[in-house]
Amino acid sequence: MKDLFRGELVRLTSEEPEFRARQEVLWQNDTEFHRLADGDPAEMYSTKKIQGWLEKAVEDSFGPERYSFSIRTLEGDKLIGFLGLWCNLIHSEVWVGIGIGDRAYWGKGYGTDAMKLCVQYAFMELGVQRVSLGLHAYNPRALRAYEKAGFRLEGRTRQDLAREGKRYDSLWMGILRHEWLQMQNGDKA
Amino acid sequence: MNDILGGELVRLGPIDPEEFSKAFAIWSRDSGFNRLLQMNATNLQSSNAIKRWVERDLEDSPVAFYPFSIRTLADDKLVGGTDIEIVNWNGRNAFVGIFIGGREDWGKGYGTDAMKVLLRYAFMELNLWRVSLGVFEYNPRAVRSYEKAGFHHEGSMRQALNREGRRWDMLFMGILREEWMKLNQ
Repeated sequence: MKDLFRGELVRLTSEEPEFRARQEVLWQNDTEFHRLADGDPAEMYSTKKIQGWLEKAVEDSFGPERYSFSIRTLEGDKLIGFLGLWCNLIHSEVWVGIGIGDRAYWGKGYGTDAMKLCVQYAFMELGVQRVSLGLHAYNPRALRAYEKAGFRLEGRTRQDLAREGKRYDSLWMGILRHEWLQMQNGDKA
Repeated sequence: MNDILGGELVRLGPIDPEEFSKAFAIWSRDSGFNRLLQMNATNLQSSNAIKRWVERDLEDSPVAFYPFSIRTLADDKLVGGTDIEIVNWNGRNAFVGIFIGGREDWGKGYGTDAMKVLLRYAFMELNLWRVSLGVFEYNPRAVRSYEKAGFHHEGSMRQALNREGRRWDMLFMGILREEWMKLNQ
């Protein structure tokens, strides 16, 4: 059986909270990163605060409801992002979130590769029936990445966010187990 | 200015933890009610256990959470609850939830009336830009009620739910401030 944590460009890892917190502090210096990841106002957090959240997440999490990973490049072994899965155990459904922190690594396929690993983990390891995610309409790069990973657009929360004096929709997408299995068979054929 | 919390059939009131938890314990004996209300597996809780989370909700609630009871105008009967939670203050968007507890009170227009009052509160008091809600595919009565209150369909999470051995969609609806203003001019 293949290694589910290893893709073509990236691998999923577990990092020491202190190390990851120091990286996240650097990522948050770019308001664009915050705006792509979240709908709240961009804020600056201390390393200590972020480390506290990460430590709490490590303690409270890791299955069966929450799984959390970091993302490293295969080439250079650089920590570039994070990935989280939140399971609804009763309905066999999982909500995922992903972020590539450093601008220098955007638009190069790292996020798409990590998302493919995420979906594979959800269907092949967690065994869920459906994977869901949300994004902002002002993030077309994410939309393309999620489409490449197999997600379908399912709806839009109209005029959900205010950014730069304009209103923007939020979008949500999903992929069903049978759709993903079909994709895998198609890839092999 | 009029009392914005009063409707035609019901009014929105405060939540009294003692009264509310006793009523909720009775409502939630009906698994049909639980399944329309939320995604968790139906379970049974004592009124004491319910009172604890109600009190916690009321005391710890952030500035972005506004819960209400729903009471009939005719005889001041507690028939349900509703709340509005602001998701992003900078985006002025919010999520609402609503329920009518006892089967004997379903289908009488209480929920629709309460939702209309809640929307007025959302747009005329909280000055929001939009309001969202989620509803299960197997709850067509609620969908009709939300449509009557002015919500539009915005999409669905396909097959997000598993009930009775099959999968169902989770539907999302929303109403914009400008849409509400047009309906209420």
